[in-house]
Amino acid sequence: MKAYMGIDIGSVSTNIVIIDNNNEVLHSLYARTNGQPIETVKNGLKEIASKLDKDIKISAVGTTGSGRQLVGIMVGADVVKNEITAHATATASEVPDVKTIFEIGGQDSKIIVLEDQMVTDFAMNTVCAAGTGSFLDHQAERLGVPIEEFGSLALTAQRNVRIAGRCTVFAESDMIAKQQYGFSKAEIINGLCQALVRNYINNLGRGKKLKPPYVFQGGVAANEGIKAAFEKEINHKVIVPKHYDIMGAIGSAILAKDHISREGIQTNFRGFQSTDLDFTPSTFQCNDCSNFCEVIKVELEGQIVAMWQDRCGKYSNTKEVI
Amino acid sequence: MKVAFPYMGTTVIYKKLLELLGNQVVTPPKPSQRTIDLGVKYSPEFACFPLKVITGSYIEAIEKGADTLVTSGGNGPCRAGFYEKVHRRILEEEGFDADFIVFNSPYLDWNNFIKNAKKIKGDTSVFKVVSSLKTVFYMIKKLDDLEKRVQKIRAYEVTKGQTTKVWEDIQSIFDKAYTKKEVQRAYIESMVLLDKIKTKEVKEDKRLRIGIVGEIYVVMEPTINIKMEEMLGNLGVEVERSQYLYDWVCYSTLSKMPLINKTHEKKIVELGEEYIPINIGGHARQSVGHIVDYHNRGFDGVIHLMPFGCLPELVTQSIIPKISNELDIPVLSLSLDEQTGVANTLTRVEAFVDLIKGKKRKKIS
Repeated sequence: MKAYMGIDIGSVSTNIVIIDNNNEVLHSLYARTNGQPIETVKNGLKEIASKLDKDIKISAVGTTGSGRQLVGIMVGADVVKNEITAHATATASEVPDVKTIFEIGGQDSKIIVLEDQMVTDFAMNTVCAAGTGSFLDHQAERLGVPIEEFGSLALTAQRNVRIAGRCTVFAESDMIAKQQYGFSKAEIINGLCQALVRNYINNLGRGKKLKPPYVFQGGVAANEGIKAAFEKEINHKVIVPKHYDIMGAIGSAILAKDHISREGIQTNFRGFQSTDLDFTPSTFQCNDCSNFCEVIKVELEGQIVAMWQDRCGKYSNTKEVI
Repeated sequence: MKVAFPYMGTTVIYKKLLELLGNQVVTPPKPSQRTIDLGVKYSPEFACFPLKVITGSYIEAIEKGADTLVTSGGNGPCRAGFYEKVHRRILEEEGFDADFIVFNSPYLDWNNFIKNAKKIKGDTSVFKVVSSLKTVFYMIKKLDDLEKRVQKIRAYEVTKGQTTKVWEDIQSIFDKAYTKKEVQRAYIESMVLLDKIKTKEVKEDKRLRIGIVGEIYVVMEPTINIKMEEMLGNLGVEVERSQYLYDWVCYSTLSKMPLINKTHEKKIVELGEEYIPINIGGHARQSVGHIVDYHNRGFDGVIHLMPFGCLPELVTQSIIPKISNELDIPVLSLSLDEQTGVANTLTRVEAFVDLIKGKKRKKIS
């Protein structure tokens, strides 16, 4: 049976999914990246391979997320796509009439506006990590509340507290002040959720007409407190899709599938045994001019397969970068 | 007198003009990380990005031996009009020794313009000045023509990076031309070079066109706008800029002569007036006008570049959603400064290209 793989290498988590011809998820894997994208993907692929039925053949592979280029070269991806297109593709497949997507991941947040399953507008946070997964993670740790219970605790709040949400540092000092005034943990967390959503809508939604159905996805969508805050802020129901935390990976798998069938070509996938190959990315500083670029060099079994991030193109032009 | 100038776009032209007028010219190095670091270090933090880069550029030019800096002035509400004053003070305070020659619009102060022109021309005869101006003007036109071709070819090149390399070669070919005849020869030679670039065949209805609008410095200088044109070219998109030197020179010289001013730039400003009726400085009106113009000419999308904290372009940015909505043309605003990350911008640009591709595909089927 033909199957398609999507890998989303994010700053916080790495997701691998296998979908079938009808975009149904056969297998999925959610792992923490821990700053080691290569190792995480290798281990993830091994785990997925051990679960797969023998008759399943991977016919296309797509990568997305901040590590998309590097991992794309490692696995031999057919499509290397940005997160925005990948996320929109997955959502349009799962919620066909979606008009607005709120996506909050580990280190960035996006808003995507669609019309007839086409992306018509988008925005990404530009200024600061406020309101993304990493910050919530950090606050949960500081308050001694497991991140999994963070959202449900917010829902038990009795009173409203207003937390300054412009940036993480100010939000944190404001939270500490409010704690000292005697507000409960639940109330503080609830206030934080509302501040984040307010900030998100004001920052990313500026000048955009947001229409329902609204879909909320990304790792943070697990947080009921944030979902409730969204519903309160926009005064409308918000849909959290079944696979909310792996939408990027699903999207890249769909994109890879479509690419292969449209072009009528064979996949470049190196196979699951490629996890045993010696794959080493390294960086060196080029001192040939006053730009001092940090050039990334990727070697596979001792052979240079890709180089990039040089401004003049001296290195990147010698190797094909997908 | 060793003269230098701010580095912006095809610098061979300014160099040529100053050389033909009998000056010894020091071309500042192409802005690099060092230029930006120097500029950021010595400029006020809240100054706009172009000011910072030009500070760095001046310092590097002085290091190379320049003692006189030639620049254009500015008037109206944008801070650019104060650049020379600020730069003069920064350089003085940091112990760099340089003189400034600032060209304001001759309409503003005719006497000062003539005084500056005399300084620049030195002992060069009036006849030579006129013929030099003619040659340089001709050269600007030819170079702009070639650059417009480069911006189209790059989208379809087979060998990545080849077009950019050829474009650099073309600029050094023009660097050696000093007469109209030599410019003509350089032009023909360059056309042959461009013809030799192997390109993919792409059907007319599959071609993507994006216009770049915004503040002139970030639009014209690739090292500052993280090589936006190349980035788009590599994604298979034809590019056109809102600013080219030839158009800018024509418009500036004719700006107060409405009857003979038939430049495209004039039409652009009129198109922009519907959204920004008064001059608020910078290129805000032009930016808006160009968006309307690109829409009228059937472009698929527009990328709007602005230096972080540029007031006129912030006004443009806030009007863009309205224009984009009314005309149904996608616009992506990007603000640039020393903090800009390439990876992040690439993600946005890539997604934007996907967006216009999708929009187009649907229209065809």
